[in-house]
Amino acid sequence: MARSLRLRAPSPWHLVLLPLALVMLVPLIWMLVTSLSTLAETHRFPPGLPSSLHWESYAQAWNDSPLAHWLLNSTIVSVTCVVSNLVLCSLAGYAFARIPFAGSRLLFLGILATLMVPFQVVMIPTLLIVKQLGLVDSLPALIVPNLVTPFGIYLLRQFFLSLPAELEEAATIDGAGRVRILFSILLPLMGPPLSTVAVLTFLQVWNDFLWPLVVTSSPETMTVQLGLASFQSAHFTNWPVLMASTLLSQLPVLLLFLFGQRYFVRSIATTGIK
Amino acid sequence: MALTTKAAAGLAGLLALGAALAGCGGSSGSDGGTTITVWHGYTDVEAKAMTAQVKQWNADHPDEKVKLVYNSGNDNALQKTVAGFTAGNYPDVAYEFGSSAAALARQPKLIDLTDTVKKPAFNWDDFYPSEQQAAEVNGKVLGVPALVDNLSLVYNKALFKAAGVPLPTASWSWDDFRNAAKKLTDPAKKTYGWAYVNDGSEDTVWRYLPLLWQAGGELLNSDNTKPEFDSAAGKEALDLLKGMAVTDKSVYLDNGNGNYLNLFNSGKIAMLWTGPWDLSSINADVDYGITLLPGHDGNHETISGPDLYMAFDHSKGRSETAVKFMTWLTSAPVHLQFAIATGDLPLRKSESQLPEYSTFLEKYPANKVFVDNLNNVKHVRPNIASYSEVSTAVGQMVQSVLLGQAEPQEALDTASDQVASVLAGQ
Amino acid sequence: MTAALFPATAGRRTKPSSKKSADQRAAWGMVAPSVLLIGLFGLVPVAWSVVLSFQHSDLQTPATWAGTSNYRELMHDPVFRESIRHTVVYTVLFVPITLVCSLLVAAALNRRLRGISLYRLAVFVPVVTSTVATGVIFSWLLDPDYGIVNALLDKVGLPQSGFFSSPDSALYTMVAMTTWGWVGFGALIFLAGLQSIPQDLVEAAQIDGCTRTRAFWLIQVPLMRPIIGFMLVWLTINALQLFDEVYVTTKGGPLHATTVVVYYLYQQAFVYFHAGYAAAIACLLFVAILVITVIQIRVSRDRDLDPSG
Repeated sequence: MARSLRLRAPSPWHLVLLPLALVMLVPLIWMLVTSLSTLAETHRFPPGLPSSLHWESYAQAWNDSPLAHWLLNSTIVSVTCVVSNLVLCSLAGYAFARIPFAGSRLLFLGILATLMVPFQVVMIPTLLIVKQLGLVDSLPALIVPNLVTPFGIYLLRQFFLSLPAELEEAATIDGAGRVRILFSILLPLMGPPLSTVAVLTFLQVWNDFLWPLVVTSSPETMTVQLGLASFQSAHFTNWPVLMASTLLSQLPVLLLFLFGQRYFVRSIATTGIK
Repeated sequence: MALTTKAAAGLAGLLALGAALAGCGGSSGSDGGTTITVWHGYTDVEAKAMTAQVKQWNADHPDEKVKLVYNSGNDNALQKTVAGFTAGNYPDVAYEFGSSAAALARQPKLIDLTDTVKKPAFNWDDFYPSEQQAAEVNGKVLGVPALVDNLSLVYNKALFKAAGVPLPTASWSWDDFRNAAKKLTDPAKKTYGWAYVNDGSEDTVWRYLPLLWQAGGELLNSDNTKPEFDSAAGKEALDLLKGMAVTDKSVYLDNGNGNYLNLFNSGKIAMLWTGPWDLSSINADVDYGITLLPGHDGNHETISGPDLYMAFDHSKGRSETAVKFMTWLTSAPVHLQFAIATGDLPLRKSESQLPEYSTFLEKYPANKVFVDNLNNVKHVRPNIASYSEVSTAVGQMVQSVLLGQAEPQEALDTASDQVASVLAGQ
Repeated sequence: MTAALFPATAGRRTKPSSKKSADQRAAWGMVAPSVLLIGLFGLVPVAWSVVLSFQHSDLQTPATWAGTSNYRELMHDPVFRESIRHTVVYTVLFVPITLVCSLLVAAALNRRLRGISLYRLAVFVPVVTSTVATGVIFSWLLDPDYGIVNALLDKVGLPQSGFFSSPDSALYTMVAMTTWGWVGFGALIFLAGLQSIPQDLVEAAQIDGCTRTRAFWLIQVPLMRPIIGFMLVWLTINALQLFDEVYVTTKGGPLHATTVVVYYLYQQAFVYFHAGYAAAIACLLFVAILVITVIQIRVSRDRDLDPSG
């Protein structure tokens, strides 16, 4: 009995993973259904399937708003922050994990401490600093505070700690400098954590609403999240168009994840290091 | 050290890249004349109508241009404006909720409009009294009305017919209302007579206030220094809510997600207390009617929540343009144009005297009741900086009664104490 | 902490070897850009908040000195006390549940299987989904009268719940909803951790007769200790700072049942414009998180065999 079952079903793990995936996909499915419904159909309860597929919300989302311009702004800001975070967090994370230098504990704690402050608290002083730098209402205002995240430093430090120390000892004997060890030996092994930092930085910057809301004001610097808010108002929300534009704006992130998975999940075993 | 220089160079490169990209955006170039910035939260039809009006203004005033900027939603307008003062990029004119007026009253850059509106040409008394009072804080006029609405009773005719209940009338009493709601409720079919937004926010409070006022009560005393709602009227209003929500179970308690409207469309809820903004979301297949709120001893007064345009000082020239633009935008013929395009209610009484008003009524027949009901607005909410705290306390009170967690008198006492300490603390 | 600090400083002064001091300089060079940026955008605003907490400020007119009155008032604020209780209950439930679920989901996803990349994508979806959409969907699914969840509960004969509409269940519903939203994030990081463990270690254990489950708990989990430690700290910090989900679903209600510390802080700062009072809440929260984090790091370090940790 058990054997025949195993023969028919490719793997029993599908029985676990499929329901799990469905539970996780509920909102995406709902967003898709809503975006294909008419406005009247979304004003019903309980919500149901649309009578026929209405693609016009996508056209409306794309035509009625400078969605492409918002996407471009968000991409510039997010990609810049990702690149900068990968470089700066790797450097700092490595130093904190591997070099016992004067003041490292104190500095590291200081950096951790800034993780503990909710953004709502520091929003106004951050605004004052950005104003002093003359960056209000510009894309750099969205970039500079996010060039490095304490979260990235902390995460990479933990991964450097879990790498075997022997890896660099050999290189140190060769007389290779710290930076060379980091870039030529260690970072190639850090594919999964680095891609994690990349994705999470990207998401954090991409999804940010409050900071762009207060620091920008002109349409030229509007990001996707601010733009999406224009489909939502206090008394009236056009759900089909809102969901169509939300999906369009999340598509790049999902595609990035789907194609970036190779890097995410490349295990140390396949890199040929023993 | 090579490393540091490398990292620094990289950082500088990134910053330069960002700066270059920002440069592409460009700033509004003014060629000799004045340009003022107006922050608004209009979307959809309203945004189109507003854009058209600004275009018209700019064509007529080449030296006093208006730049329209979307504020990313009126819910965030106050926060964004306050942040704008810190960052130095605040607007010349901003659309704000009426409840924000008192918070912005302390802002040194705010332009006092008292002298402007008192000029005979402005005709301040043409605005409904509730709009005038919402714009006034401590005797100063701080804004010009931008939008006015009120609560009326909207009902689904089919559900009344099915339950054999006569349709609501403008002379309904609280008892008529309660009995009808009870008859329209059917636990088996999960239909409710009425819906109440029970999230404890101002949405919860402003449906309670007309009941309080109709019964002869007041929220605060006349100089806004002490609570006055812990009264017979306050209790009577809460008793009605308790009787309907807890005893009859004839009220759907919406937890703030706005389900009530979808349920109304789906024939699950028979009556709503709502305003003109919801009409555009009622589906075409729902046959609905509108009438005044049920009354107490013949008093059918309702509540209005006017929103405002407020002006902020940059320079003398820009302030003058800002005031001029606001005056123009809210003048009777210009606003009636906007009302016809959007279905917003007239801001000025004289708009209904203009010949185009018939176009408005033809296009939005259901709005007639809301326009007439503006005359039933007799009270306004106190325009004090601590109103949001007063509102929280009253919201909790109503919510605790609706959820059956507190008796009306007990809830009144608690809220009254809280409000007293809020008012004493300021 | 300071013990480790002083010998290093002394060593630098006496110049024991050029390699060590080169290392010192390299380390400082590597952390300098991050330290500068975080100092400017992290620590300066915090210092400002500390100053603000001793002032009365409405964010618009000049602030006035308040001494310790904000803190004294906080001690007698019943809503603040309630918000602390809710935050603690939330954190105590959310952190362990999410940690364990993430680990299990990561383990389930860590295998070669047809379509595994689609499963991974599915688990990742809640991380990307906008909080607004999530909030709307959950309040529909969980509507006490019309929601599908109560309908299902009714069908299987289980008692129905008020979910977000009842003060008794709202906080637990919040735990469930946010766990759902965070499991994908946790699984992603644990998956990266599992992938970093040399496969031959696991295979060797299996050859020695270990079942996969035993190998997972006895070999993979201990090797991931730094990463589990990270997740513990990160989830705790985020639990103590819960805000977005409350803002889009319950707005702190019903009857303050989901008013957590940061939501209350936000309300004080940007609804009531009591910025000084809000800053005092922030400073207390900051100290609390700092203490909890240091304890968590110390505890996980005591068990850590890696001396450089």
